[in-house]
Amino acid sequence: MTNGDRSAHRLWRAPAWAWVVLMLLFAINLGSAFIPLGNGNVILNLFVAAVMVVVLAIFLMDLQNAQTLVRVVAVAGLFWVVLMFSLVFSDYLSRS
Amino acid sequence: MTDLSDALQEPWSDLRLQREAVGLGMWFFLASEVLFFAALFCSYAVYRSFNAEAFRIAAAHTKLIYGSINTALLLTSSLTMTIALRAATARLQRMTLFFLGLTVLLGLAFLVTKGLEYYGDIEEHLIPGSTFPLKPAATEIFWALYWVMTGIHAIHLTAGIGVVIVVMLLFGREIVPVQGSTMEGVAIYWHFVDTVWIFLYPLIYLGGRT
Repeated sequence: MTNGDRSAHRLWRAPAWAWVVLMLLFAINLGSAFIPLGNGNVILNLFVAAVMVVVLAIFLMDLQNAQTLVRVVAVAGLFWVVLMFSLVFSDYLSRS
Repeated sequence: MTDLSDALQEPWSDLRLQREAVGLGMWFFLASEVLFFAALFCSYAVYRSFNAEAFRIAAAHTKLIYGSINTALLLTSSLTMTIALRAATARLQRMTLFFLGLTVLLGLAFLVTKGLEYYGDIEEHLIPGSTFPLKPAATEIFWALYWVMTGIHAIHLTAGIGVVIVVMLLFGREIVPVQGSTMEGVAIYWHFVDTVWIFLYPLIYLGGRT
């Protein structure tokens, strides 16, 4: 194996593993949709989707090596989303 | 190959700082995009919470096979985009261009599949309006959200494909050096479009399958 081959190998090996995990999670999501779990189906599907996004953000978007400021900005986006969902549903779910 | 100093822009003293600044700027933009899409997801959640059965019936009429193929295509395109970014950082111009090309092809394959899906949906009159075939009436809300959410996602992907093609031209003609900070922003945006789809897929396609 030449140095170039080893270098190319290093470039794609870690992302390829992340891709394998993502495809497995995708298969779990697809397969579980056919198992009757009632409301559990959408909860499981969204949980798996959230895990997929975490894997993608950490290993493919490289948040694992990002500076703290970048991580704070990424989390700030999620914070406002949580706030929006909380305020909206605190209204709709409390209406009599 | 273009000299490293050509990649450095004012006011940055080194390339690492410049890349971090581009990444940070893109994350700020994405934080606003997250809220834009979250408003749509929030609408979906509210309507679904009041019309659970209608959403189950409506979701069962989406084309699962097309949605699943597109999920696999987008996840794979995120892999090729990451390899392109790593190749660019390592100053491997040909490898960068190859994997960017693959990413564009996967993105185009997504749009073609989406087009076939839309064609099937239109054939079945699954557009809210007087000829909409499903009952109860709230199924129309699901399908209105389907068209808006998948449509806006497709527009974002189309923009991403356009940006990648322009970047490939700039790299290919050595107008912009591959090891600069350009790839950083492009890659993060591409992954974001993938992220939105990861949540759209279960909400649009996986309901009502049991």
